[in-house]
Amino acid sequence: MAPSGSPGGHTARPGVSTPPSPGKPAVGPPSAVPSAAASPPLDLESLEVQLRETKAISTFTKLTLKNQIDDLLERLRAFYQGQLKTSLAELRRSFDLLVMKVLALLQDTDPPLAGALASSRESIWSVLSDPAKLDKF
Amino acid sequence: MGLPRRIDICTGIALCAALLAARGAETQDTMLLRDLTSVLALLGLPCGQVVSATHVKGDDHVATCQNGDRYRVFIDAKGRVVAQKLES
Repeated sequence: MAPSGSPGGHTARPGVSTPPSPGKPAVGPPSAVPSAAASPPLDLESLEVQLRETKAISTFTKLTLKNQIDDLLERLRAFYQGQLKTSLAELRRSFDLLVMKVLALLQDTDPPLAGALASSRESIWSVLSDPAKLDKF
Repeated sequence: MGLPRRIDICTGIALCAALLAARGAETQDTMLLRDLTSVLALLGLPCGQVVSATHVKGDDHVATCQNGDRYRVFIDAKGRVVAQKLES
């Protein structure tokens, strides 16, 4: 498990709210990202750069998201190494929840990036759900 | 151009500068409130909107929520954003 922040403080862990049904790719609200269909998918590196550079998300929020992304990557690595008792479906739910959080932050202020993220969701998961690909990331 | 007209222009410029500065500060404050609101929501903490924030030092703020809760929001030594609920 990822190290937590300061004792007594709250540092979020992905996967705590009600997720979509296991094994199925999560689908966001239909109205969440209207431009999703028009946006081409991005690779992970481009997405990381664009998320870092967007002015739609402020500093503290970006850092909080980064913490949560790092936590998820750490949980995935621990899972593949057999150190974490969970299922890939559960980790997928955490991933979907995290994507939804980012989409919620972007959809009004940076719709093109929100669309690109929505389009890239499956390709990102295909990297995360493959231990060999994740190792290279 | 007489002296009174020159004074009028100077007063106008000073007024504009003051208004712009005030507006800039207001925008910055609004951005911080929105930032802290997003952080508390991401951390899953009950708050609603952050209605005011007090800068303590560096990246350390005390946020007051719509529901009356107060949180100290700061970046810890590991680079994590942490929110600690403060007792009222």
